[in-house]
Amino acid sequence: MVNRILSLSAVFLMGILSMQAQESKKVMDKDAIKSMCGCYEVSFKYTETFSPEIDYEKKLDYTAYALEWAEVLDEDKDEISIQHLLVINDSTVIKHWRQDWLFENNKLFSYEADNTWKFYDEKEAKVDGQWTQKVYQVDDSPRYSGTATWVHYDGKTYWEDEANSPLPRREYSKRDDYNLMKRGNRQEITNEGWIHEQDNKKIIKHDDGEEELLVMEKGYNTYKKVDDDKCKIAQNWWKENQKYWSKVRKIWDDIYAEHAELQLKKSVEGRPLFMHLTPENAPSKKDIRATIEKFIVKS
Amino acid sequence: MKILKAIGVLVLSLSFYGSTLQDIPSKLKAKLETAISSTYEVESFELQEISKSDLDLEADPKYDQLHIYKILKIDQVLGYAYLSEANSKKDVFDYVVMYDTDFSIKKSKILIYREKYGRQVGSQRWLKQFNGKTSENNLEYGNDIAAVSGATITATAMTDAIKKSLKQMDILKSKITD
Repeated sequence: MVNRILSLSAVFLMGILSMQAQESKKVMDKDAIKSMCGCYEVSFKYTETFSPEIDYEKKLDYTAYALEWAEVLDEDKDEISIQHLLVINDSTVIKHWRQDWLFENNKLFSYEADNTWKFYDEKEAKVDGQWTQKVYQVDDSPRYSGTATWVHYDGKTYWEDEANSPLPRREYSKRDDYNLMKRGNRQEITNEGWIHEQDNKKIIKHDDGEEELLVMEKGYNTYKKVDDDKCKIAQNWWKENQKYWSKVRKIWDDIYAEHAELQLKKSVEGRPLFMHLTPENAPSKKDIRATIEKFIVKS
Repeated sequence: MKILKAIGVLVLSLSFYGSTLQDIPSKLKAKLETAISSTYEVESFELQEISKSDLDLEADPKYDQLHIYKILKIDQVLGYAYLSEANSKKDVFDYVVMYDTDFSIKKSKILIYREKYGRQVGSQRWLKQFNGKTSENNLEYGNDIAAVSGATITATAMTDAIKKSLKQMDILKSKITD
């Protein structure tokens, strides 16, 4: 009898300790995600590396520098949403990308080429303890998503995954020799800020679904934390515009829920979607929905 | 894909002499067309094969693999493409030397390579040293032409192939200007 009580107590204690460890890990994960917020001097660097075809001529390296503000939009137990804003010449603010982080989430989307995304459910067991990163474009339309575990070992904190995505903005209107990017994303938190390291594959996806590697690419983007005051203009811009973009996000959420597959037009009336989304005119939710609807290819 | 569409509309004329583009494997043909399109910065062009028999090149051990094309856009001659094959360590590779109308090299490219070793010779960082060369230039490997570490056999073979190409194109030039 005593042995049985001891055994049950041990199992109970182990369960408690395990739950505490999981919660403690989750707290570390959330701290890592939120540490990407603040004002950062960002350096973007990309270089093409290996191509299977000897006649491929590597394109010029891409480098750019920017000041970027990132802040938490929403946070709850299992979700953190972060909006990034670019500050250009200390005077202009441009809404940049958004990253949503969801704990043990199994609802994902994948880019299929031809400006088409498929929404699908991953097996729940596969996302156990993992965080999904969903990345959205400047107009809050989808970009790519992936799920993996935040790793905290040997003094390092990082998350890495590979996801199918459209061409990056820097090549979107300049390249037509590939139509899919397999993005190898590694986001590592450092003492100075964070590093977004990428091992990308530029892929030609043929009509029969066959994928042909054109060239690989290394991306090395460093986010160096600076005083938040340097991004004051972005903070103020967001205060003025966040209500509008909150409406836009809600509309997109409805649209995502209605579609298993979503194909978007690259432009309407000669302009991409982000140029149609203008908070200055204070459009209603209905107007915004109508604008976005124009870009959805009806099947 | 815009490039594929552009290549799809290329008008490729057939020569009255000898073999035609149809004799070239499709992968090599596509690579040749892409190389010409990007080098001469044209989306559409015409290739006219020049008869080898007029050039007395039968002694060339790669005679069967050699094709020389006149590149035309409407009636304007853009240059010439010299397509052939050379030996790497254990296999062969396909290359093209593209010429300006003055018979100087505009650009050379290795189009298909079949070995794991020596691939660095395909880099334009090495190949661009042939640009602008004519038959009057010395092309001694390791002296006029930079050596490539780990790819001596292929780099030497490519240098020799380009020397041979310049010599044969000089014969073509003399025939045209006669």
